[in-house]
Amino acid sequence: MKRLSGWSRRKHATAYWMILPAVVAMLLVHYIPMLWGFYISAHDVNIFTMVNWINAPFVGFRNFIDGLNPATTTGARALRSLVNITVYSIVAIGAGYVIGLAVAILLNQNFRGRTLMRGLILLPYITPDSVAYNVWKFIFQSRIGLLNRYLIQWNLVSEPPIWLIGPPALWSVTIASIWKGWPFAALILLAALQKIPQELYEAARVDGATAWQQFTMITMPQLRTVSVMQILMSILWNFNAFNQFYIMLGRDPGIAAEVPSTLILREAFTNLKYGIGSALSIVLMLILLVITTVYLIALRGTAGAEEM
Amino acid sequence: MKGRKMRARSAKVIKQVLIYLAVLLVALVVLMPYAWMVSGSFKETLELQSSDVTVEHLKPSWIPRNPTLRNYREVNQTVPMLRYFKNSIIISLGTMVACTVIALPAAYALSRFNFRGRGVYTVSVLATQMLPGILFLIPYYLIFTTITRHTGIPLRDTYGGMIFTYTSFALPFSIVMLRSYLNGIPLEIDEQAMIDGCTRLRALWTVIVPLATPGIAAVAIYAFIMAWNEVLFASVLTGRSTRTVAVGIMDYVTATGANWGGMMAACIVISIPVLILFTSMQRYIVEGLIAGATKG
Repeated sequence: MKRLSGWSRRKHATAYWMILPAVVAMLLVHYIPMLWGFYISAHDVNIFTMVNWINAPFVGFRNFIDGLNPATTTGARALRSLVNITVYSIVAIGAGYVIGLAVAILLNQNFRGRTLMRGLILLPYITPDSVAYNVWKFIFQSRIGLLNRYLIQWNLVSEPPIWLIGPPALWSVTIASIWKGWPFAALILLAALQKIPQELYEAARVDGATAWQQFTMITMPQLRTVSVMQILMSILWNFNAFNQFYIMLGRDPGIAAEVPSTLILREAFTNLKYGIGSALSIVLMLILLVITTVYLIALRGTAGAEEM
Repeated sequence: MKGRKMRARSAKVIKQVLIYLAVLLVALVVLMPYAWMVSGSFKETLELQSSDVTVEHLKPSWIPRNPTLRNYREVNQTVPMLRYFKNSIIISLGTMVACTVIALPAAYALSRFNFRGRGVYTVSVLATQMLPGILFLIPYYLIFTTITRHTGIPLRDTYGGMIFTYTSFALPFSIVMLRSYLNGIPLEIDEQAMIDGCTRLRALWTVIVPLATPGIAAVAIYAFIMAWNEVLFASVLTGRSTRTVAVGIMDYVTATGANWGGMMAACIVISIPVLILFTSMQRYIVEGLIAGATKG
């Protein structure tokens, strides 16, 4: 790297030309819309003003206040959607990580068909969301669904429950998301497991460590960096979750399964209240920012200075 | 002595049995929805509509009572699936090409030059990954409508608009992925080529691109799959003429009618390109790993 720093100005010009297209694309699709998003959130952009939305009246923080006011329908839904997404994320991330770790450890053992299994577990990960969640929607159907067939057959229920409407809907989506999400955790945890030097385990066995001690003293500390990253990415993905809710429950999942993305989409593109939609999406971004920062700071105290 | 040996051996056998049981369980959980999808795709509409979990002889079965190919033959009948498929192919291929062409020089610059602002740029690339898609969607949509109103250039519901959008989505991760791949190619290779009289761009094209093919292929396939699967922006920005499969497939089951057989058949059809591409990418990744191991 040292050698590079001495390079001439002209070479840097080449570098700028090379990143220019990527910078322009990112500015146009990410950063400029984001700035306009702040602008829209402070203006009353709705069905009447949207044609000339740049000149919509300035309303300050009104959109934020209205969007989060529990006395209004939207506000009540917005607050509930934050609760729902938090519950959903905690369960989906926790279960996804635990199952992923368990399967990664399993696939790190010696058994026949190991290569085949390593390929097989990738299936849910690579299956398009629109396919996987529609199939789960089919499974969760009340009268013709696979789940209720077995619940009735095994006498666990007498009447077929309705899974995709009301409070159970959130859990149905969570189960489908876990099914789709754990393979990614398993994949990267398995790769990290394979990098742990075997000598560590041999030395531990010589010292008489039990399997559980080996797991807590060697495996978990060695997986730390990868786990931190995996959980961080899961937080970002799950808090922004949209596809599974939209595909399984439709445009309006109902208040019990409402999440920020579905609410914002409807608020903007069905109710045509772009200002409130923008304000709520900024609230979502700020919450994510706070969670990520707290998470990283909390971990930094104990983590070594490992690069990410 | 003998007893201890036998105990150790039976413990080993038990462990093996437990491993196979666990593997079986994992395989069952992974495969169950696919089996249900395949089974559903061969069922007659009548069987699906009349099935009822509460009635013993009507409960949904794994084996279709009268297996039929009708759902596949008529996949295009109630929903214009073939048109959605064509739209998805055009948008995904366009995204793949555009993303690769833009990501390669950017990744190369990040990997080879220590230019001012490199750190800021890298952070800004990663930051876009963290932000909720819905945050851009509203302003993005309004900007689209305003540009169209002032210039007359249609952006919403056009291939170009969608390809541009998805290219920008796929870029950040593509650049990061490709940069780490290029970092694995020694600097001496560029230098050697430039000593031999190549310009920087020529060296990139004739020497680095062939070496980085597995990385480039992985990026290209990532971009294709991303565009193929995207739902949120497609649900707002596509319309009659560009509706993609990821959104279009929902047309099979609406408030007015549920054609689950057709939907399951369509699910299988739209999974095929993704499965083929991913399987080919796995080969590239393995190749890349072997190349890295033997050269390192």
